[in-house]
Amino acid sequence: MQRRYRTVPDLKIHESARALAFEDPALAGKLTAMGLLPGTLIEMVRTAPFGNAYYIKADGVRLALRKEEAASILIDL
Amino acid sequence: MKEAGEKLLNVALVGNPNSGKSTIFNKLTGLRQKTGNFPGVTVDAKEGRLRLPSGRELRLTDLPGTYSLHPTSSDEKIVAAVLANPRDPHFPDAVIYVADATHLEKHLLLLTQLLDLNVPVLLALNMSDTAAEIGIKVSPGILAERLGIPVVPVSGRTGENIQKLIGEVEKLLLAPLAARKPFYVPTELEKQVAEAVCLNLNLDNPYQALLIAHHQSWLPFLSPQERATLEAIVKNKEFQSLRIQVDETLERYDRFTPLVQAAVQNPPQFPSTPTDRIDAFLTHRWVGPLFFFVVMLLVFQAIYDWSAVPMDLIENMFSGLTSWLKIHLPQHWLSDLLTDGILAGFSGILVFVPQIAILFFLITLLEEVGYMARVVFMFDKTMRRFGMNGRSVVSLISGGACAVPAIMSSRTIGNWKERLITTMVTPFISCSARIPVYAVLIGLAVPANRVFGILSWQSLTFGSMYALGVLAAFASGFVLKKVLRTHDLSYLAIELPVYRMPHWKNLWLTVWEKVLAFVIGAGKIILIISIVLWAMARFGPGDDMQQAEAEALRIAATQQLNDTATADLVAAYQLESSYAGCLGKLIEPAIRPLGYDWKIGIALIASFAARDVFVGTMSTIYSIGSSDDDVMLREKMQSATFDDTGTSVYTLATALSLLVFYALAMQCMSTVAVVARETGHWKWALFQFAFMSLLAYFGAWVVYHLFQ
Repeated sequence: MQRRYRTVPDLKIHESARALAFEDPALAGKLTAMGLLPGTLIEMVRTAPFGNAYYIKADGVRLALRKEEAASILIDL
Repeated sequence: MKEAGEKLLNVALVGNPNSGKSTIFNKLTGLRQKTGNFPGVTVDAKEGRLRLPSGRELRLTDLPGTYSLHPTSSDEKIVAAVLANPRDPHFPDAVIYVADATHLEKHLLLLTQLLDLNVPVLLALNMSDTAAEIGIKVSPGILAERLGIPVVPVSGRTGENIQKLIGEVEKLLLAPLAARKPFYVPTELEKQVAEAVCLNLNLDNPYQALLIAHHQSWLPFLSPQERATLEAIVKNKEFQSLRIQVDETLERYDRFTPLVQAAVQNPPQFPSTPTDRIDAFLTHRWVGPLFFFVVMLLVFQAIYDWSAVPMDLIENMFSGLTSWLKIHLPQHWLSDLLTDGILAGFSGILVFVPQIAILFFLITLLEEVGYMARVVFMFDKTMRRFGMNGRSVVSLISGGACAVPAIMSSRTIGNWKERLITTMVTPFISCSARIPVYAVLIGLAVPANRVFGILSWQSLTFGSMYALGVLAAFASGFVLKKVLRTHDLSYLAIELPVYRMPHWKNLWLTVWEKVLAFVIGAGKIILIISIVLWAMARFGPGDDMQQAEAEALRIAATQQLNDTATADLVAAYQLESSYAGCLGKLIEPAIRPLGYDWKIGIALIASFAARDVFVGTMSTIYSIGSSDDDVMLREKMQSATFDDTGTSVYTLATALSLLVFYALAMQCMSTVAVVARETGHWKWALFQFAFMSLLAYFGAWVVYHLFQ
C-alpha cells in the first residue's frame, strides 16, 4: 500500500518539512518537551558517521535522533 | 547570622539543560558550594549558600536541567520528585527559573508547570546580552505582566544584574503568595483524577495531584498504600498517562507561544552560524571520529606531559621534608608514625593532584564548549552494540579521571539496562588512581629502550593498560547485554548545544571542587589506611617482634654485617613477624600463582580500599627501619627477593601480572559505595566486585604464566 505520509528519515540532506504528528506517545512526550512540536520546521542536516542516527534542526534547534525516533515523526509531503 | 529556630530557606534553580543554569549558580555562590560526589553525602544536586541583602542566609540548590516535569531519565526524575512533594526537605520556598533569552519560545514549558504548582517563582532571562547582540529584543515588562511573576534579565557570562536577581529573590521570599489562576486548564478527566487524588492524599493543589497520578509508579515518597490507591484511581478513570502528558504539553505551548511572540521582537531567523560550520567538520562522517581520537590522544598526552614537573616537585618536597624530619625529630615511635605513616600517605595523595586536575579540566572543557553532545551523537550506534547508549561515552571518558563522578553522570541515560551496564563497566577504564601504580611497576620491570625508534616499551605498556581496560569494558558490556532484560524505552534524542567559549570560572570551580573532593574524600581513606598499615607493620603479636630482632641481630653478628645491613635485616625480620606480615603470609598461598610475595599481598589487601594505596603501602613497607632515605622505592623493590627461593620478586612476569590485576580489579571503596547508591541495590555492587576481582585474578594468572 502506498503510504500517505513521510517520516523524518525520508528527508534528503538539507531538505526541510513540517512535523505533523508523532506515532509513539512515549517519544512524543520527550520530543514535544524538547520543543519539537507538530508544525515545527525540521531540516535534515546529516547522518551519524556510523549510521543509525540523524542530526536535524527543529526550528533552528539542533537535535540528534536515532533512526527509530526520527521515524516516529510524521512530516508533510 | 542565622537566628536560633529560624528555618534555613531553600531556593532552587530550575531550567532546561543548556539554559546556563550552572553558570548562574556559580555566579551566585562562588566557592561556597559542594556536590554530593562522594559517599556519605546524600543530596544529589549541587548546593551552595547565598547571603541576601538583609543578611539572611539561604540554601541554593542547583537541580538537574530538565525540559518538563514529566521526566524520562533519573536526573530529570530527581526534579519531579522534589517538586511534586511539598514534604520533601529540599522542596523550595522559592524557585529561580533560568531560561535562555535567545530561545525563549522553547524554554518556558517547565516554567508554566511550576506556575501551576503554585511555588513562588521568578524568571531569570539568561544570555540577555547575547540576545541583544544578535538583535533579539525581549521585553521583561510584558513577560512579567503576562506571567504574573518578576522577570530579571541577567548574564551568567558577565554577571550583569546578578545583585538585582538576589534582591528579587528576597522580595519573593518576603511577599505573601497570591493565589494564581492556573496557567493550564485541565480537561474534565484530568479534573476528576486530580480531585480524587487530592481527596485521598489530602492535597490541595490540583496540578500537583495530577503529576502524582501520572508518575505514581515510581515517585519515591509514596507509601505502598498510597501507590495502590493511586493505581486504582488511574485504572478506574482510564487515565492514559502518556497521551495526556503530550496533550498537556501541546496545550501549554499553545498558551505561552502568543505570550512569547508579544514579548520578543526580531525572533531569530536561523541563518548559518559558526556552530553549523564547525559541525560540518566535527560531526563529519570521516573527520568527526578521527578528530575525536586525536582529541583523546591529546588528552592523555597532556596528562603525562604537563603533570611531570609538578609531580616531581611534590615528590621532592615530601622526600625532603621526610629526611629533614628524620634527622631533627627525636627517636620515638611517634616520629616514625609521622614520617613513615602520615607523610608517606600524604605524598601518595597529593602527587596525583596535577594529573587529576588536568584530566578534569580537559573533560569539563569538552563538556562546557558543547563537544560531548556531538560525541554522544557520533558513537550512539557503536555503544548500543555493547548494550550501552551514546551518553555512555561521556561516562567512559570521565572514567579515565575517576569512576565515581563518571558513574554519577550515567543518570542522564533513561534506559535502566543501558545505565546499569554503563555503571558496571565504567570502573574498567583506567582511572587516575591507577596511574601511579602503573608508573612504579612499569618503571621497575619494563625496559626503557625503544621500539621502531619512536615508541618506548614503557609507553607502549602504559598504552596497553588503557587498551586492556577499554577492551574489558566493551567485552563485559557485550556479555551483560545478552544477559539483562528490560522493557524500558531507550532513546537518544539529545540537544546539540551551540558551541560557545567556556566560562573559565565554571571550569576552575569544577576542577577545584573535584580536586578537593579527591583530596578530602579519597585522601581520608588513603591516610587512614597508611596509618593502620604503618601500625600493623610496626607492631606484632606477643613478643614476636623482640624475638625477630634478637634473631636478626644474631645472624648479623655471625655474618659480620655492617650497621646499615644489620638495621635492614632487623627491619625485614620484624616486618615478617608483624601483624601486617602475618596477614600477608596468610594470603600468600592464594597469590603465589600470580607471582606475588607476602609483601605485595599486604599492598593488595590495602588496595581494596583504594588502589592508589599501593604506592603508599609499598613505600611504608619498604621504608620501615631503613636508614638510607635517599633510596627510592623503585630501587628498593628492585632488590626484593622471595624469602624461600631467594629469586627476584619483581621480574617482568610479576610486574605485568600485577599491572593486569590493577587494571581489572575493583579496588575502590568509593566506587563500590556509589554503585550501590546509584543502582539502589548492594547486589549490583557486590556482583561487580566479584566479577571484576575474578577477572583480575584470572587475567593476572594468565599473564604471569605467559611471561614467566
